[in-house]
Amino acid sequence: MKNIKTILTLSAMSLALGACSTGLDKSRNLGNPNVTGNTLAQQVCSVCHGGIGNDVNGNSVNPRYPKLAGQQKEYLVAEMNEFHNHTRKDPMAQAMMWGIARNFTPKQIDELANFYSNQKPIPDSGQKAALVAEGDKIFHEGVLDKGVPACMGCHGANAEGNGPIPRLASQHADYIYKQLSVFNTDEVYTEGKENVPDSDLERPQGAVMEGIAHGLTEQQRRAMGAYLSSLH
Amino acid sequence: MKVSNLLGKAKGSALLLLGTASVVVSMDANAIPVFARQTGFKCVACHVGGMYPQLTSLGRMFKLTGYTMGNRPNLTDLEVQNDYPPVAVMVQGARQYYNNTSTQGLPGHGQGVPSSSMNVQVVSFFAGGKITDNVGAFMQWTGQKYDNTQTGSQAGWNAAAIDNTEFRYADRTVTPTTDTVVGAYVNNRATMSDVWNNMGPWQSGWINYFNSGNAQAPTTFLMGETTQHTAVGAGAYIFQNKTWYGELAVYKSPTHGPLSALTAGAPPSNAAAGSNGTVIDPTPYLRLAYNKEWGPHNFEFGLHGMMAYAHGSGLLGSTGPSDYSQPVSTYRDVGFDSQYQYVLDPHYFSAHARITREYMNNAGPGVFANYSNLTPVNATDNLTETYVDAIYVYQAKYGAQLSYQNVTGSNDVGLYSMAVNGAGGLTGNPNWSAWTPHVFYAPWQNVRIGYMYTFYTQMGGVTSGNNNLVFNGTKFSPANFNTSMLYIGFVY
Ligand code: HEC
Ligand code: HEC
Repeated sequence: MKNIKTILTLSAMSLALGACSTGLDKSRNLGNPNVTGNTLAQQVCSVCHGGIGNDVNGNSVNPRYPKLAGQQKEYLVAEMNEFHNHTRKDPMAQAMMWGIARNFTPKQIDELANFYSNQKPIPDSGQKAALVAEGDKIFHEGVLDKGVPACMGCHGANAEGNGPIPRLASQHADYIYKQLSVFNTDEVYTEGKENVPDSDLERPQGAVMEGIAHGLTEQQRRAMGAYLSSLH
Repeated sequence: MKVSNLLGKAKGSALLLLGTASVVVSMDANAIPVFARQTGFKCVACHVGGMYPQLTSLGRMFKLTGYTMGNRPNLTDLEVQNDYPPVAVMVQGARQYYNNTSTQGLPGHGQGVPSSSMNVQVVSFFAGGKITDNVGAFMQWTGQKYDNTQTGSQAGWNAAAIDNTEFRYADRTVTPTTDTVVGAYVNNRATMSDVWNNMGPWQSGWINYFNSGNAQAPTTFLMGETTQHTAVGAGAYIFQNKTWYGELAVYKSPTHGPLSALTAGAPPSNAAAGSNGTVIDPTPYLRLAYNKEWGPHNFEFGLHGMMAYAHGSGLLGSTGPSDYSQPVSTYRDVGFDSQYQYVLDPHYFSAHARITREYMNNAGPGVFANYSNLTPVNATDNLTETYVDAIYVYQAKYGAQLSYQNVTGSNDVGLYSMAVNGAGGLTGNPNWSAWTPHVFYAPWQNVRIGYMYTFYTQMGGVTSGNNNLVFNGTKFSPANFNTSMLYIGFVY
């Protein structure tokens, strides 16, 4: 009986506190379609994808989270839909972005993509010169004997991306390395199999990247990260 | 607000709290406890290597913004946006191994807790999460089989009581150049508001561990167990640019009124169970910290302090808990705390260091009354507590940890009842130190299996072994208090 009274009292306190609430413009509610993309960018995304000082600009501090600043709008829209639909399913996407994108509306996705594609990307510093040089070479020339084409052919001369092809310039080295490893995992899984369903792949939209990533050694993937993260 | 809305909210709140039954409904395999269900995150998002309760920078922000990120049951319209019930349960089964065969007559664990079998020892229920866009809650209710304080007896499940419980209000303002979180809370334990895992309830020794040294190893008033959940505090804080943190709160034991719900079941209201709960007069608590993130690194350095006014226990021979008719002793606790973290999958590392110094002003004159039914002989005493740990987790599956605790202080034979063999009489020396290595394995994110061993290298000021400590005529050495535990924890 005493417990019930306690529970009721606690409920009443929740209720009283619930009455004080500010407007939608500072909401962190991921389930309310009326919260705008800009508000979500400030209140939610900035916690992981932001940066100190200029907190909403999509330049994340921890390389665990990719930079979104200046990313191609079309690519951002595609990825958010993929998280929402659970088609992009590498472990970190599942651990965090699936939850974030659970109730995204097309309008929110559009506003978010607009917001981040218009932010200014900031490159990282402190890369090892030798690794940067190695990545530079592969980016412009590919690794011909392994059948790896020059990345610039698709990602652009300055790795700025183009529509559904992502910008890579300024991206965190560790994130580049990890995504290349994801594409490689998919390639290894697909090898020698026929008609592998998309649902078996971690990044099914990355079919073109699978063979490319597989042609790169561990060290070369690190080199791509070092080079790309240093680019403006 | 319209009455119907209010009723809707009331109904919603009741649902929020009474939804425990619905925990059996099938759930997303990703989503485990309350906050994971609310955000859709896996444990590794907010906890270092998934090793709850250690918070990552995201976890800190989640707590500081009032547990409000994510989805919630729509209380106003009762149209549920979040189809996951905001409740969770945690069960800990364990087996302790004690080294204290010769501690007959010594209050402490190892007498009431059998060291022979694996059994279910702790069950906690959680509820809470997002209530509105600005308000959230964390509520925990715990029952345990054994008494975690100092009597060494079997508490029995009837000692179930409210555990760490908190309501928060938070507002975050982000501009292109600033990021400011301001918030306020009401909770039932000082240090519960900590987000850097430097303090009592959240430091890594959080697991319920019925350790045979607990009773003889004094801690500061701030970190100790006697003030747990017997007082209610209201506090306010600010976190500026993820860099500067400031917090001020005042705690007091409620005698009646709605806030006393926050101490329900906790001593002294369940004094019959033999616990020595403590009543305190308004007691300020303060925290300042500097926080810095760069790359995968995070560093924090801070100051903490509390000025506690605690009433003594019924004096001399009485076994009652502390009560308002008794004189007030003062406990001034101040200290430094620091944390370093590295979070970049698959490697997770964190380390903590804290030093807390306590100045006790025992109530007098004449007989000095202490809150835990002891009578100190000195008008003033002091204690210095040091805590250091380091944890490494790989792939959010395999973990190892080493922690070290040390306490030194002034001698007081009224407070510390150890004697040294051959020296005659009590020394009243509080000094002790212990090392605890701990390894664990998480086959799934909601199951953890671990083994920890606590080695006491000093007790009652005695460091060497060979039966140099005497209590009630029985001799033993610091190593006699060594305790180890094999546990399995499960959250759902
Ligand atoms: C809990 C931390 C967290 C929050 C909050 C968060 N994200 Fe993410 N996000 C991640 C992680 C981790 C990844 C990388 C996933 C991976 O490795 O597959 C990611 C990846 C992304 C990507 C893909 C980037 C790329 O280059 O492929 C987009 C787009 C994105 N997030 C958008 C958002 C938006 C928009 C929000 C706010 C509504 C948001 N995120 C909030 C953690 C977060
Ligand atoms: C044939 C065109 C093509 C070439 C050549 C190419 N890429 Fe890609 N890349 C893509 C496409 C398309 C995607 C987007 C895949 C998706 O949507 O999942 C992508 C995605 C990526 C990503 C993931 C980015 C993110 O934000 O998650 C990385 C990293 C990447 N490419 C690196 C490279 C590197 C390094 C090279 C050269 C060695 C390269 N790419 C060459 C087309 C290409």
